[in-house]
Amino acid sequence: MTGLGVALATLLSHYRRHPAQLVLLLLGLWVAGALWSGVQAINASARDSYARAEALFSSGLDTLERRDSAPLTRDDFIALRRAGLPVSPWLEGEIEAAGGERLTLIGLDPLTLPGDGPLGPGGARLGAWLSPPWQTRVAPETLAALGLDRETAPGAEPRLADGRRLPPLALAPSLPPATLVTDLAAAARLLGRGERLDRLVAPAGELAAAPEGYALTRAEARLSPGELTASFHLSLTAMALLALIVGLFIVQAALGLALEQRLGLLRTLRALGVPGRHLVGLLALELCLLGLAGALAGILGGVWLARALLPDVAASLASLYGTEIGTRLRLPWHYWLGGLGVMLGGLFLAGGGVLWRAARLPVLALGQAQAWRGRFHRQLTRQALAGAGAATLGLALWAWLAGRAPGEGLIAAFALVAALLLAGALWLPPLLATALAGLGRLARPWPLGHWALADLQLQLPRLALAMMALLIALSANLGVGSMVGGFRLTFLDWLDRRLVADLYLAPPPARLEALDAWLADRPEVAQRLPTASGDTTLQAVDGAASGRPVELFGITPGERLTATWPLLANRDGRAPAWTALAAGDAFVNEQLAIAEGITPGSRLTLAGPDGPVRLAVTAVYPDYGNPRSQVLLATPVLHRRFDARPGGLGVALRPDADTAGLTAALAERFGGEVTVRDQRQVKRLAVDVFERTFAITRALNALTLGVAALALLASLLAQGRERRRRLAPLWALGVPRGRLAGVQLAQLGGAALVTGLLALPLGVAVTACLVGEINVAAFGWRLPLHVFPGALAVTLATALGVALLAAALPAVSLWRTPPRALLAEEDSP
Amino acid sequence: MRRLVAGLLVMLLAGCGEAPPEGQAGFAGLGADAEGFRQAGPEVTLRFPGDHGAHPDYRLEWWYLTANLEDAEGEPLGIQWTLFRRAGRPPSSLGEPGPWAADQLWMAHLAVSRGASHRVAERFARGTAAPRAPEARQAGVTVRPFRSWLDDWTLASRSEAPGADALDHLAVSASAGRGDDAFGLRLALDAQGPLVRHGEAGFSRKAEGGQGSMYVSQPFYRVAGEVVLDGERVPVTGRAWLDREWSSQLLGPGQAGWDWLALHLDDGHKLMAFRLRGDDGDVLSGSWIAPDGAVISLGPEDLRLTPLATREVAGHELPLRWRLALPERGLDLEVAARHPERWMPTAVPYWEGAVTVRDRATGEPRGVGYLELTGY
Repeated sequence: MTGLGVALATLLSHYRRHPAQLVLLLLGLWVAGALWSGVQAINASARDSYARAEALFSSGLDTLERRDSAPLTRDDFIALRRAGLPVSPWLEGEIEAAGGERLTLIGLDPLTLPGDGPLGPGGARLGAWLSPPWQTRVAPETLAALGLDRETAPGAEPRLADGRRLPPLALAPSLPPATLVTDLAAAARLLGRGERLDRLVAPAGELAAAPEGYALTRAEARLSPGELTASFHLSLTAMALLALIVGLFIVQAALGLALEQRLGLLRTLRALGVPGRHLVGLLALELCLLGLAGALAGILGGVWLARALLPDVAASLASLYGTEIGTRLRLPWHYWLGGLGVMLGGLFLAGGGVLWRAARLPVLALGQAQAWRGRFHRQLTRQALAGAGAATLGLALWAWLAGRAPGEGLIAAFALVAALLLAGALWLPPLLATALAGLGRLARPWPLGHWALADLQLQLPRLALAMMALLIALSANLGVGSMVGGFRLTFLDWLDRRLVADLYLAPPPARLEALDAWLADRPEVAQRLPTASGDTTLQAVDGAASGRPVELFGITPGERLTATWPLLANRDGRAPAWTALAAGDAFVNEQLAIAEGITPGSRLTLAGPDGPVRLAVTAVYPDYGNPRSQVLLATPVLHRRFDARPGGLGVALRPDADTAGLTAALAERFGGEVTVRDQRQVKRLAVDVFERTFAITRALNALTLGVAALALLASLLAQGRERRRRLAPLWALGVPRGRLAGVQLAQLGGAALVTGLLALPLGVAVTACLVGEINVAAFGWRLPLHVFPGALAVTLATALGVALLAAALPAVSLWRTPPRALLAEEDSP
Repeated sequence: MRRLVAGLLVMLLAGCGEAPPEGQAGFAGLGADAEGFRQAGPEVTLRFPGDHGAHPDYRLEWWYLTANLEDAEGEPLGIQWTLFRRAGRPPSSLGEPGPWAADQLWMAHLAVSRGASHRVAERFARGTAAPRAPEARQAGVTVRPFRSWLDDWTLASRSEAPGADALDHLAVSASAGRGDDAFGLRLALDAQGPLVRHGEAGFSRKAEGGQGSMYVSQPFYRVAGEVVLDGERVPVTGRAWLDREWSSQLLGPGQAGWDWLALHLDDGHKLMAFRLRGDDGDVLSGSWIAPDGAVISLGPEDLRLTPLATREVAGHELPLRWRLALPERGLDLEVAARHPERWMPTAVPYWEGAVTVRDRATGEPRGVGYLELTGY
């Protein structure tokens, strides 16, 4: 073995003697890495789903619909093709698998479908595709819903809930999940469409204008799933980054300890002639080895975590944005490399300081085991200054954000939160040191108390990092928790006021008139509230050009609705605003108002079928959960001025009406054609969506707090032996072991209480940032700031609980150590 | 005979069991079994105008137009307009076809070429042999009046004088691309001679096993009209050749592709010749057509067709210069592609382009025409 090899083996032998330190280091790396790479895995997997969805269909295709809102049929397709227009027929509907899962069935015609996609004429064997029994293309992750696996799937003809069978399956990994694609002829049969079509599609921009009698929706008027969900993924990434940082705190604490305890060893190696540069190199090599092991474990843990969380994320994305992502992980190669890079980078950031300090230690000073503890005071001053710097940065960011239009600067808002947390964390050790010094003077009359405070001051350099991690985790937890809680209150109230109809009916467009006429004759029905929807482009606001795609929504401003429908701002009061809406003015949702700076009184110019349509805005309404900008009009106005599609039909019933009877009569008259949902169902659905959306937020938050607790435990365990050594003289002086253990708990509990108290204002500030800036930028809505006293109390209790829990293990071990062993430790080096 | 690219349809529509591995199916698939379909043969009697229309009881069919044109300055241009039909199943085996039935698959090719410029587009449509009004079909062919179309690409009769053939006066139009990229054609075709039946009264034998096709041509068109290329409208005149061919089993087993020539000679004669390349030797055949439409069938003993030079185009080694000799008529011609870059990068690719014809001894120009190379 070469000299360097021997030196390395000697350095590493430290971990053989202190396996707990090695375990802690790896644990820190593993936990931090798992959270970070888990979220990255979720994001990468979701992006893959978006890319597949976009590559296949949604983007890049313009769609045509009939202006008279009659259903499209084969005749429309043939007539347009023979006029030379490059349109392709499209069927899309839901089918129910035998197991009850609802899947999207798409029927298309590869012969006319534009582009050379995976289903273009050049890309597939069309024989099996076009001729009976046809073929069903399906992504492997959809097979589970059909009760099949990869081996049994090819060629299988799974039965549907209605007893019919799908055409033989063929695997197509590039398809989006929960989507079946088959030939137009097969889909028309399965969906019972006959000659009807759901859509005609054309390559983006290929049609200069909509053909006479048709409405054209440009591809760019529809946001792609990737754009819609970008903010969601950014938020996830921010939370994962937080977990990574907290995890790296553990790593730095463990590394610092391992180095400090090896200072004597380093001195010996230097004395034996190993150059200082080589020692630093060896330490760096050690860091690399540890880093690789920890990072790999972290990434594997991340994949496992992602697998556990992905179904929840998928459910929230599906209900929030209507985008399907696979619930099976699909990880590109750069995910693995990127994860490894970030982990190793973070490790060197955490270990770099340690290396740097080791390199600068003078040889002679190496003998003093407390070499850098002496500099702690200078370090405190530097931390206080750095904290002030971070606070100043936070202030500057806040001022900058306050000067911008709301909703801009998502990254800056995250940076503001980071600056706040950093300032708090940096200020914590000086604050604790100052408090201890002050209390120490007060506690002079009580020797044990005085000793405990002085001793805590001595522990502070080591504890500081863990306390900082705890502070960050607590503040983030409080901030996010309050935001979610506040949002929940607002959302439930909004839901109550907005869901005014008793029944919500969704008929196919062709049956709408018949349904409406039938309802008009029913005695139970107090009011029919038809809706309509459409898409257009906002051309200008008060003359300033825009170009933003907007959704048009039509409601019926009847008595039921206008009484409760929530409004945020209006010009002359609620009643006049509703009168104006009925007369042809528009409302805009909060998302649009914030994005375009629209206030009641603004004038919008929208692209209409026959040229620009100008509308006055009389109110702004909250529209939680909607990713898109929306302009609200009275349904008849929408039909008159735009190419609107009839939407669902709300039905307000008379107070004594027999809901069940009406539902039964509806089912008898219209069969399965009309979907009926009652208000309770809709509300439950919406609340489910809400809970699922924040389930992952809560899970990540709790995990981060767990990591912080681990950091604290790690620090305490690491210095356990040393602590016991210091407690031994006290015991010898006659302080009982139980009392000593109590002192230890009190020391830590006190420090944690201070940390918890500091976390309260910090957490509230984080909440304010979240509801006032980040939500506005990410989702487009602003929420009132709610501070829950209960949540504050829980934060304090958590701080204490975590600290006491972490202190309990060393305390118990102290309690159980025989007194003689304590004294024996006093002698050992 | 012709052509071709019905191979595409073969490949696309081939059922899982019968198809050769993807990508190589090409033209060899034309030899596939034709169970349930009618077979072409010398006993089949041609009847017009009915036989100008589609024959869904045969597997394959095409309406194939090529033209050698020139602009006002005499610069040569070439165009191709083709409609292919391929049946997935014989009409007798159809159940109740739904509105989107695809038992008939239609494909159309458009090419416009001048110098180095060669623009190609293709389109597809599904259809059924079941009765359906012409206006309810994306692609199809009607007999009275004669009209063939896929989308807005049409080849149709302009006027039908009593007693004249339905194909005597045609209009063809098609376009693709947009703006500066646009190309297309709008031409009037007027036949200066009668329909021509190749082979044995219209049955053209393609292999020793009896495989072959019904093959009729109208090679006597005079053309005038307009071609659009690179966004520019060019008035053109020239000569065109329309091939009509239908079959259920075109090639014998072991035949991989063909080289086909259709020439307008300056003395008013037309000459069609093809060579089917097979494992067991080539099949050579052709027609010598007098200016009045009288046809003399050419067999291997009458015809020499020899590649003189090959050239690599789009990654394929192609014979683009030929010696074509009819020793009994003292004819020894050299046929050469005007421009090598006439590869058709369509779903099943092939080479199709204009050629010049010269006397091999003197080098004097003797005519123009089209060359088609498949299965390379």
